[in-house]
Amino acid sequence: MTTMLEPHRAPQEELAPSRAGARPGRRSSSDHPLWFLLPALAILAVFFIAPTVFNFVYAFTDWSSFKSEIGFVGLENFRDLASSGTLLADLRITVVYAILVAIFQNLFGLLLALLLERDTRVNRMARVAFFVPVIMSALAVGYVFQALLEPDGGLNAMLSFLLPGQVDVAWLGSTRWTIVVVALVHAWKWMGLSMLIYLAGLKTISDDVLEAARLDGASGWQLFRQVKLPLLAPAVTFNVATALLGSMNGFDVVQATTEGGPGGTTELLNIFIFRTFGQGLFAQATAMSLTLFLVVALLAFPVIAGLRRRERVL
Amino acid sequence: MNKRMTRSVLGVAAAATLLLAAACSDPGSSTTTSGGSVDWPAQDTDLTGTTLTIWAAQNSNTIPDSVVAGFEDLTGAEVDVETIPDPYEQGVQTKVATGDMPDLAFWQPTASQLTALNAKQNLLPLDGAPFVDAYSGGLADMTGLLDGTRYAALITTPAVEGVYYNKEVFEKAGITDLPTDWDSFVALAEQLKGDGVTPFYEMGADRWATQWWVQVQLAEAAQDGLWDRVNANEESFTDDTIQGAVDEYEDLIDEGLFNDDIKTATFEDQGKALLNGDAAMVMQVNSFFGQLQQLADTDELNQKIGFFPISKDGNVGTYIPDQSNALVAFNTGDEDQEAAARQLLEYWLGDGYADFVAAQSTVSLQTDVPSPSDVPQALLDVSASLDGAAGSMQALAVANPDLYINLADMIQGTKTPEQVTEATQQQFAQLAKAQGVSGF
Repeated sequence: MTTMLEPHRAPQEELAPSRAGARPGRRSSSDHPLWFLLPALAILAVFFIAPTVFNFVYAFTDWSSFKSEIGFVGLENFRDLASSGTLLADLRITVVYAILVAIFQNLFGLLLALLLERDTRVNRMARVAFFVPVIMSALAVGYVFQALLEPDGGLNAMLSFLLPGQVDVAWLGSTRWTIVVVALVHAWKWMGLSMLIYLAGLKTISDDVLEAARLDGASGWQLFRQVKLPLLAPAVTFNVATALLGSMNGFDVVQATTEGGPGGTTELLNIFIFRTFGQGLFAQATAMSLTLFLVVALLAFPVIAGLRRRERVL
Repeated sequence: MNKRMTRSVLGVAAAATLLLAAACSDPGSSTTTSGGSVDWPAQDTDLTGTTLTIWAAQNSNTIPDSVVAGFEDLTGAEVDVETIPDPYEQGVQTKVATGDMPDLAFWQPTASQLTALNAKQNLLPLDGAPFVDAYSGGLADMTGLLDGTRYAALITTPAVEGVYYNKEVFEKAGITDLPTDWDSFVALAEQLKGDGVTPFYEMGADRWATQWWVQVQLAEAAQDGLWDRVNANEESFTDDTIQGAVDEYEDLIDEGLFNDDIKTATFEDQGKALLNGDAAMVMQVNSFFGQLQQLADTDELNQKIGFFPISKDGNVGTYIPDQSNALVAFNTGDEDQEAAARQLLEYWLGDGYADFVAAQSTVSLQTDVPSPSDVPQALLDVSASLDGAAGSMQALAVANPDLYINLADMIQGTKTPEQVTEATQQQFAQLAKAQGVSGF
């Protein structure tokens, strides 16, 4: 496998030194005065650096809607959070949700990409159809599914028509399985994006490689398992990382379908943060979002590093 | 990037960040409003060129229509009603915290919600308003006050937590006397269950009504100063009184007195179930009746739906004013705007009030203004039960924890009754501490 990848990599390595050699050096400082950067920096500072810094600062204060003064309280917010079980419980739910979404979204995305790989007219139309949910409002998706999954909603009506007897399953009513259902909804919304990236990945696989494998007598499954999947590794990295980390910050779909219920079993950390913020406890909510930020960061580095290593091994 | 360049880039970034950090104070802060009484302009003072903004929620944005039209004709002012999307309270709180204010807004007139808006800083005191004396009964002292200062003007009857029942179901079961205390109430439910009728209907999926079951049981305790003790951290949600009410709720559910689909039923299901007679009783507040009014006309409602308050030892109602019941005026710092805002309130509860209750088909709060004839009987009963009613948690406690979510969790089976009160107390303490309440 590695020998196969080498020709792809070689040109890039050749390019690297030449790019370094073409560095323009002194010329740039007179052509492009440094203060030209100021507007961009100001925007960066106002919209990116400041909010992030404030997220750190406010977490250590007693900022609330109840009074005007903001005082520093040190680590108190974090101590309170640690002592209440809700943070840990919600963090667990969030991680489970993120893993489920990552699995479903990639599975569906990959299947769709393989199904719609060939550039026929029907496939093009189908691709568009599957991409539509991606550009839909997540809240709208959530409300539509909430209506569909109600005990007297569309899904049960359809099942009742197809199956003997009356079906009245409360799809969003189980304290154990609802998390899977909402993860499926989230994955349904975003699978079109994964599909697109997998399709792009499949397009980069050279026909020569596939032809060679076929000449060697590879079956359809072997072709997929031994050739396509390994060559899709960069797409897998991107898709898994974005699905996992994106759904760690999930909120809209779950808020619209279950609001964290039943019995708090789908209460993602962001829903808890939203609830705390709504109570006027701004500092506590900020402390929680800082915690979430740290957890996502802690998760992101090993996941991405691991997936990249996997790319190299393959 | 050479060294000098790096250094200056870093310098610019640091300066920009510092500049922003220097502005790191609460933008919602301003000077404290004085508690003294203020001048109330005449209702017809000319206001040509003045524009007043009222914030309203999705379910209250049409309430001011008749008042706005009348006021604009009378004074030449322009009144904009701006809808703040749901969740309304959170939206308003966030806007006010970041320094954005209207002239007036619909707001729950309870001490806890007035505190949540930082009333002493952000709201205009309404002491000495001419409409205060016009309120009938004890309404003037019931709500709208925070530490003795009036900040909210009540425009419609505060909601009452109590039992809405289907008269036809009661009739069929041969029930002629309404329950007179909690025990007879439960006995009645058991009798109905024996007859094969679902006694109570609860909406576990929409969650928010779960708390009424606990609160109505606390009516007498509330009159006896329960919430004062809770506010002072002398009594806790986990102590016998509140815990007992939660346990009782759990017991009633376990006994099978509620609808089978209690876990998945919604607010809409609840209204339909009571109207169709699928269940005999519902513990609810006024907005439930609003739901019924969308499903049936006044005649049908008068024929089918009745209301009675219930409490541990009698028929004490539990009042819970909500956002659509009252308005607050904001301390915007512009004296002319503030005077105009006061004038609008004065007109609303003055010359414009008769038109207002007629347009809304609602119960009048004033002795001199009669209620319109098309107000359903149940609403008149609700309003009558306000006399001698006890305050709800929302009305009397310094903070409003998510008791209803915890109770809904109990219905779903993910919390025990003990965990419900524990989680509620924990959140209550956190909110009380953030407010700087002594004892927390």
